[in-house]
Amino acid sequence: MKARIAVPVFPGTNSEDETVRLLRDCGGDAELVHWTSAPALATYDAYVLSGGFAYEDRIRAGAIAAHDRIMDYVIEGAEYGKLVFGICNGAQILLEAGLVPGTGPIRRATAAFAKNAPEPHFVCRHVYLKLEIEPARCAITAALPPGALVPAWAAHSEGRLAASPEELERIVSDGHLAFAYAHADGRVDDAAVPNGSALRCAGLINRTGNVLAIMPHPERDGWNFNHLDRPSGDDVLAPSGGAALFRSFIEALS
Amino acid sequence: MVNELGPNVALRDDELQRIAEQLGRQPTAVELHAFDAQWSEHCSYKSSRHHLAHLPATSARVVLGPGEDAGAIHLGTHAGERYAVVVAHESHNHPSQVVPFEGAATGIGGIVRDVLCMGAEVIAVADPLRFGRNAHARHVAQGAVDGIGAYGNAIGVPNLAGDVYFNEGFDDNCLVNVVALGIVKESDLIHSFAPKGAEGWSIVLVGKATDASGFGGASFSSATLDAQESELNKGAVQVPDPFLKNVLMRASYRVFAMLRERKITAAFKDLGAGGIMGCSAEITAHGGYGAEINLDAVNVAVDGMPPAVIAVGETQERLLWILPPDVAFDVVRIYNDEFSLPEVAYNARAAVIGRVTPERRYVLRYRGSVAMDVDIEFLTGRIRDELPYSEVIRHAGAAPELPAVDVETLFPQILAHHDVASREPLYRRYDAVVRGCTVLPRGAADAGVLAPIPGSRLAVALAVAGNPRYGRIDSAYAAEHAVVEAMRRVVAVGARPIGLTDCLNFGNPRKPDQYGSFVAAVEGLAHAATELDLPFVSGNVSLYNESADGHAVPASAIVACIGSVEDVAQVVMPGLKEAGSALLWVGSRELVLGGSVLAEILNVDGALPKISFAAERAAIGIVHDANARGVLRSCRVVSDGGMLTALARLAFDAMLRGRAIGAEIDFGNPLCEAGGFICEVSDASQIDITGALRIGQTVAGSQLIVNGVQFDIPGLFEVWSQPLAELYP
Repeated sequence: MKARIAVPVFPGTNSEDETVRLLRDCGGDAELVHWTSAPALATYDAYVLSGGFAYEDRIRAGAIAAHDRIMDYVIEGAEYGKLVFGICNGAQILLEAGLVPGTGPIRRATAAFAKNAPEPHFVCRHVYLKLEIEPARCAITAALPPGALVPAWAAHSEGRLAASPEELERIVSDGHLAFAYAHADGRVDDAAVPNGSALRCAGLINRTGNVLAIMPHPERDGWNFNHLDRPSGDDVLAPSGGAALFRSFIEALS
Repeated sequence: MVNELGPNVALRDDELQRIAEQLGRQPTAVELHAFDAQWSEHCSYKSSRHHLAHLPATSARVVLGPGEDAGAIHLGTHAGERYAVVVAHESHNHPSQVVPFEGAATGIGGIVRDVLCMGAEVIAVADPLRFGRNAHARHVAQGAVDGIGAYGNAIGVPNLAGDVYFNEGFDDNCLVNVVALGIVKESDLIHSFAPKGAEGWSIVLVGKATDASGFGGASFSSATLDAQESELNKGAVQVPDPFLKNVLMRASYRVFAMLRERKITAAFKDLGAGGIMGCSAEITAHGGYGAEINLDAVNVAVDGMPPAVIAVGETQERLLWILPPDVAFDVVRIYNDEFSLPEVAYNARAAVIGRVTPERRYVLRYRGSVAMDVDIEFLTGRIRDELPYSEVIRHAGAAPELPAVDVETLFPQILAHHDVASREPLYRRYDAVVRGCTVLPRGAADAGVLAPIPGSRLAVALAVAGNPRYGRIDSAYAAEHAVVEAMRRVVAVGARPIGLTDCLNFGNPRKPDQYGSFVAAVEGLAHAATELDLPFVSGNVSLYNESADGHAVPASAIVACIGSVEDVAQVVMPGLKEAGSALLWVGSRELVLGGSVLAEILNVDGALPKISFAAERAAIGIVHDANARGVLRSCRVVSDGGMLTALARLAFDAMLRGRAIGAEIDFGNPLCEAGGFICEVSDASQIDITGALRIGQTVAGSQLIVNGVQFDIPGLFEVWSQPLAELYP
């Protein structure tokens, strides 16, 4: 039987529709589950937490949502080994819930996606995610080639990885740094980073590699018509670009 | 007379007299505030409506013209269904000047509701902005931009288009215009009037708990008549809640789906000026009914508010449904239970607050007594002010004599000019790509483009225009030019222009010269739109944009143009594509300086570039044809900063995409802003060259060679990128 993917919707989530659409276009069986139907989440095989401003980013992005009933099911699922994939606000929630990097207790964050720096405001910018781990280290990235470059859009005001020096050290040494910001040619440098993120980090995984949190949105550069460098002749409606990561996620489920 | 009736209002004595005569008694306090709101310029367009009637509003594509909360225009057909783009255009000028962040944010909030209430999914916003140049104006600009971003980003609607001009004329009055687009199946359009057979139906208020925000202005003012009038039109600032709006939108989409399933025809309308009273009176009156409202049923934020505040206050994030009673029950359940509105914001909810009556009365009950009982036609009927205006003297302009220009010195100055320099430091604060439908995001090209219907190749383009440097010189010309330029921008991305909206931002209508400037602009819009065969499907008027010392803002008829693309693969992508292409200047290329950035830098006057509508129509044809034949590689409109700026931007866009392509051109004065298009074509022999001039060709490398002067493209890019980045880090 095909794995069923839930895309939970918190009050304030705003990227749920395109996330479901791209999951489906990549062959996934995905549907929305609203916060008032949270108990239904128990019956799904995987979770994709999409972008937005859950609970208005009060206190810190993701801080309130991490304590929502929805996360009871997601945390339980993650501990059971279900795949959990958070994008942007979804990633912020996973950090606040302590699922990634997962080096501390549940719901006691050891790292956060904090206010951008040096300018503490929202930034919308096209970026590339460069895979920094062995693809198989994380189930969700397993079908990507080593060093894969995934096009995406950064669109957030709180995306700067912040943690204690020891925790940052651990993130690197224990292989939690899944994605770094890169240029189109694959170079990773400070100019490629839109938000001052520590370690130039764009995405983190947990120890067991079943939970992935990325700040940029691959689903916003997920179809041919989204690409500013679209080669003519391609089917404009076909998934591509950022869809590679979604495909890899779907493959891990089958 | 005013004082005998209670609190001061902005209604004039003759209007108060009319009300007392019609009622046969003195109005109650609630009635007074109701007429005050309903007969304000903001609600009634009393001094502008008869002029606006001159704007063309019909075409084969118009699904819904002006008159409701938004207009709708046919986009195309997908899977056997006809789709319309819903569009609304408004200003939030005065609130943004007073409280920039909240003022601009509620501007986005309001325009989004205007589109939502047509039954449409909101797919984009745009924000034409005009700011002053003093230190305070920078604070206003920063706050307004952050407010627009905070609201639009949170509700998840991409910011697709917009422009920013800086001009001393806006030092005391910024302009924050907002446009919103929606997409809807034409058969699913919801109107903002009670449908046939709606007698006895429920009136359902949904959204934020009513509070005292947005009730101030005229009603609490005890200032002089002039100040009252100014305050009335300046309005009071409301409080934005994009978080609640996000949920309200999604719950409303769910309601739309339920109504479609059950084949229910309902009415839905945004609460704006006049609050509950204005909205419930108009939605029932325009269907030919009356209404009875129980103010005790309204969910309020605090107890003990006067009934006039509950009835007329302008709390944000509220909408009103007209529904059969059994359906109303289910709709209330969706909002309150499925989307748990009361848990999302304090006392937010959907509630039945009244019913539609066959009697054409408007009745408000409050704590067992009648607070208002008036003839609904009299309340909502069209009142009209015939104000005197003076004829505007058209700009004759100096002889088209061109000073010899030193391109090498002047071009970098032009790129760094406040009306030309990159706007990215501002618009990067906006989410341009949420919803995943974006084809050309904000700033990537002359117009933004979306593919709004999943699985369909149909795309929609949106661009805005309205040059205040022209507005300062000649109001009618500026209006015509705004239509032409907005249209050109849509054409430059490969779209077919299908409709327009406008927001007329002018001074005090009680001053004949300022009112004359408004009237001239309307005629300018009407003339250009008629010549180009484009309808205005919605619009808005903002008057009293006047500084304390009596100066009106530069005449600002701001226009948005909607374009359709049959196949998203036909969209012209940004930047020069290949070395060895021919560069053509298509369309008008008159060598005059009037109103240009160059004229401002040189501090000279000049004739305004003539607009030839025959030439415009021909130019559109050439660009379309080149694109359809597959020979058009890139294209940009010649606008602020002139032809060379347009060419440089094509080179910048190529550079940003990793293509080092330059150009070599030869042309008299490449800094004039006559208009038209710069087109990069693979084969000039394929083009009807009678309307186009070959000015040069693209070359490999990062050089722009102009009349023998060589510029380094990355260097120019730095010059262009820096100025606003320094002001708005």
